[in-house]
Amino acid sequence: MHNHTAGSVIALCAVLLAGTAACSSSDGDSKTATGKPVSGGTLTYALTQEPDCLDPAVSPMQATAIVNRNIFDSLVSLDSDGKFHPALAEKWAVSPDGTTYTFTLKKGVVFHDGTPFDATAVKATLDHVVDPKTKSYYAASLISVYRGAKVVDASTVEVKIAAPTAPFLQALSTAYLGIQSPKALTRDAAQQCQSPVGTGPFQVSAWEKKSSIKLTRNPAYAWAPPTAGHTGPALLDGLTFQFIPENSARLGALTSGQVNGVDGVQPADVAQVKGSGSLQLLRADSPGTAYSLYLNAKKAPFSDEKVRIAFQRSLNLDVLIKSVYFGQYARAWSPLSPTTLGYDPSTVGTWAYDPTLSNKLLDEAGWATRDSEGYRTKDGKRLSLYWPYTPLFATDSRTILGQGIQADAKKVGIDLKYTSVDVGQLQKDVLTGASDLYSTSYVRAEPDILRFFFASDQTADKGGGNAFHFSAPDVDGWLKAATGSSDDAVRKTNYANVQKYVLEHALVVPTYVPSYLAGVSKKVHDVKFDPSAYPVFYDAWLEH
Amino acid sequence: MTLVETAAKATAAPSRAAFRPPPAATLVAGLALALIGVAFLWPGLIAPHSPDVADPVNALLPPGGGHLFGTDQLGRDTFSRVIYGTRPSLTIGIGATALAALAGSLLGVLALAGGRVLDEAIMRVTDVFLAFPGLLLALLVVAVLGPGTTNATLALAASATPGFVRLARAQALVVRRSDYVRAAVILGRPRAAIVLRHILPNALPPLLVLALVNVGTAIIAGSSLSFLGLGPQAPTPEWGAMLSDGRDFLSTAWHLAVFPGLAVTVTVFAINIVGRSLQVRFEGRTPGAGL
Amino acid sequence: MPATLRWLGRRLILAAFVVFGAATAAFAAMNLMPGDPVLTILGSTNPTPALIAQVRSDLGYDEPFAVRYAEFLGRLVHGDLGQSYQLREPVTEVITGQLLPTAELALTAFVLALAVAAVLAVTTAGRRPAVRRVVSALELLTTSSPGFWIGILLLTFLSFRIHLFPAAGGDGVNGLVLPAITLALGMTGVFSQVLRAGLERALEEPYALTARARGTGETAVRTRHALRHALIPVLTLSGWALGTLLSGAVVVETVFGRRGIGRVMATAVIGRDVPTVTGVVIVSAVFFTLINILVDGLYRVIDPRLRQEKA
Repeated sequence: MHNHTAGSVIALCAVLLAGTAACSSSDGDSKTATGKPVSGGTLTYALTQEPDCLDPAVSPMQATAIVNRNIFDSLVSLDSDGKFHPALAEKWAVSPDGTTYTFTLKKGVVFHDGTPFDATAVKATLDHVVDPKTKSYYAASLISVYRGAKVVDASTVEVKIAAPTAPFLQALSTAYLGIQSPKALTRDAAQQCQSPVGTGPFQVSAWEKKSSIKLTRNPAYAWAPPTAGHTGPALLDGLTFQFIPENSARLGALTSGQVNGVDGVQPADVAQVKGSGSLQLLRADSPGTAYSLYLNAKKAPFSDEKVRIAFQRSLNLDVLIKSVYFGQYARAWSPLSPTTLGYDPSTVGTWAYDPTLSNKLLDEAGWATRDSEGYRTKDGKRLSLYWPYTPLFATDSRTILGQGIQADAKKVGIDLKYTSVDVGQLQKDVLTGASDLYSTSYVRAEPDILRFFFASDQTADKGGGNAFHFSAPDVDGWLKAATGSSDDAVRKTNYANVQKYVLEHALVVPTYVPSYLAGVSKKVHDVKFDPSAYPVFYDAWLEH
Repeated sequence: MTLVETAAKATAAPSRAAFRPPPAATLVAGLALALIGVAFLWPGLIAPHSPDVADPVNALLPPGGGHLFGTDQLGRDTFSRVIYGTRPSLTIGIGATALAALAGSLLGVLALAGGRVLDEAIMRVTDVFLAFPGLLLALLVVAVLGPGTTNATLALAASATPGFVRLARAQALVVRRSDYVRAAVILGRPRAAIVLRHILPNALPPLLVLALVNVGTAIIAGSSLSFLGLGPQAPTPEWGAMLSDGRDFLSTAWHLAVFPGLAVTVTVFAINIVGRSLQVRFEGRTPGAGL
Repeated sequence: MPATLRWLGRRLILAAFVVFGAATAAFAAMNLMPGDPVLTILGSTNPTPALIAQVRSDLGYDEPFAVRYAEFLGRLVHGDLGQSYQLREPVTEVITGQLLPTAELALTAFVLALAVAAVLAVTTAGRRPAVRRVVSALELLTTSSPGFWIGILLLTFLSFRIHLFPAAGGDGVNGLVLPAITLALGMTGVFSQVLRAGLERALEEPYALTARARGTGETAVRTRHALRHALIPVLTLSGWALGTLLSGAVVVETVFGRRGIGRVMATAVIGRDVPTVTGVVIVSAVFFTLINILVDGLYRVIDPRLRQEKA
């Protein structure tokens, strides 16, 4: 049971890049180039965003997951083939009804604060995650099926869940559910945010707000999961994360040698990084959902399927994605990104660019007349669609892509009101159904993410991702069957049905597959990626 | 200190050493402003392309060929966007100044004409608003109202109004002490008539000059707000927003960083030169213009 | 000096009133904000109703307006500016944590602007009209350019093209050069105009003439005697300079990716993190008011005539 593949198939260096050094995550390359890994030195890595809080149970941010992966170990680890391996749990068993997981824990593991790791810590961590006072923004939603844990003895813990849930182990393998020191958890929320305590290869030494988080090596670390490349303490003495939100400034910091690596390399700058003699590009396609536009079918004009399909087919995404992202990001055909288990490759090409069809469908739908600005009208009303976005989260040149989509829609007479609003307004527009479109991408190495966006019980007002109260019994049935089954073939078939349905009815318009693009100095070796396509620094080392 | 007072300090205080633009420069600046006016009113006359038709295949072309200023990240013609950007870019600065000058003048004159209590109330509230330095009041207003052209205009107007209130009151005070107003008072003319017929018209010219000088500062402030993402929304080709959009492509496309900023500078420079010339003229006639 | 004391007392009472008014305006702003602040705080996540309720009661948003106003003022007196929506830490801590880099940048820019302006003024005051005219036009040009554009140009050409300066980060003198130049540029023009006007006045004063008659060199007359007097009018610009530096920092820190109050402010405004915005605004209003009192006070010390006048 414990080796069933519930996770994703992550493709490192999924898109083949010219040159061998570009793909440093493969051990062979870097080692043959420079020999044996050496210990020592501090690696400085610039992130696009600064975590808001380092308590993994609280923060939903990608930056938090990247930093926390170095501070925390999880109960189980997921490899790049989607198989689960022991981590802090030596082994585990699932009860026949699928609702009780019994974990046998590793012995001799110690938290950074000296507290020994045991069953109490696991229970304390999981209880902390779901405690309303924790105000968990993400982790709690990952284990919403959690119904309590029982400490059997120091190294055995029983975890109860509400119903058989295939994605449960994947959730436990993420940094968001890293196991925390029960002693540290008794501190107040502010301290918890500032310096959380785990068992990982690095520990927090300082956090200078708006500048950097400094981690130092945990010298006692001797419990690396088998998915790692070595055992024992990390090779780096220290790991410093700097925060440089400005794209150009961040790249400048890399090219001028101020930092050893940066994330969020802009597709426009990839050529510069690859062309530089001293830098290399690392990439991993993110699992989860593609950056997709979800259409509000509950409200006119998108309540008319013809209008939805017309919009979907009016976008020349092949050309647009290639141009905006300089050929670095793949155009998406399914809401599920290709590196996620259950991705249905037969969706490719099923809804190609077809402005003639768009125009025909819009004429049929009654939007046959045009106003002075060329927009279609019906009964004197313009075909306007409201698409709010928040610039703070519009990374990846998404505002530019948005303008490109806006321009394509205009060509068939659709007035796309692509409007910058603050997060509160965005929440409100979505919760009240005032917006016609909602756009987002979601990193999760689990096809269960489809349930989050399309199940009728996952509406936004209940904390789900189903922004527009979409509800179809078929889709609910497939999702339920997929979640409850531990048979990969059954899951894949059901998830494929969901993907086909939402595309056929134009409930979603996937645009591109996000990739994690990092630029690092060639002196940096063995930075690897976890199944969520986040970098892992445990095996990393610096050439002196 | 508000934009107006800044402008006043920057232009009026050093009146002796102030830059007196030579007539030729004023003429050139005036012509430039006329051209900018055409771009403002009828951008289609100058711009060769539409500002928001994307052509991703031809993205980030360097200047030259069919595109004088090159193309942006979506293949839109930068020159056309700069031209079409004149109206949204100048609307905030001009609108904010007009609103502030109008509201400020009315409140200032009202303070003086409305009796002690009203005067005290208006001036103390003005003091409070004057305590927000620089752009901070504008940023506070945008934070509350949210981004957009209207809100950014209101924000800048709010931050410029207190300066106009003070200035208008000071001007009105100078005029009130003048002989003809005293004469009118002695003659027993009604208060409202005196304010409308004598005080307001005579206090106005220096206010107008300062409003003109303030427009330049307000245009820069407006484009700064847009640059921060607080101004007009995409795909509006506002200059500050264009610079902000182009920032991710600086290493590959320098032209995206140069032209929109140049447009702001040329416009504000021309306004300032014409403003100075007008001010130099007015200073000879109205003693109060220098504060 | 009882007159000065009375003056100071009056000014301080007025300042207290102004700060109180500013705080009230800020509080009103916070509560006028359309939309639900709790949703803004929760950000991009999809909050569960339980989470929304928890955050609402934690922040006291379920209490009546008057109670919240009283609590706001009460906290303010104790230096508590509330909790940032985005950063999830007390605004006071945000400000104190970010003050240093901004102060460093602002001070450098201020000194740079003053130094360049002094050199410009000393070398051009009373000189041939052609020279003065060119310099004046340049000054006007710099005040006509938006700071963010200058910053972007410097970045594009000096950092990306020829790697003369680092593109990001505030560490070390090297990282300070471009942001400081950007911030100083607009101010330099204003300072040098004011300084030159003062210098030209001072050079006609009897002491300058006497010094010249005693055989003191022209450079010495200008730098040792006249410049000191010419600096006094610049004093009146202190409050304006503070505002310019603060507003400039918002843009400059964003362009150069520097840490500091300005960047916090920019992010807070975009994210409508109103407690942070009001916090920064209130604190700068206090600073601004104090600086203005200080400047007026210094003026009274320098110019005894003012002491006689009624304030």
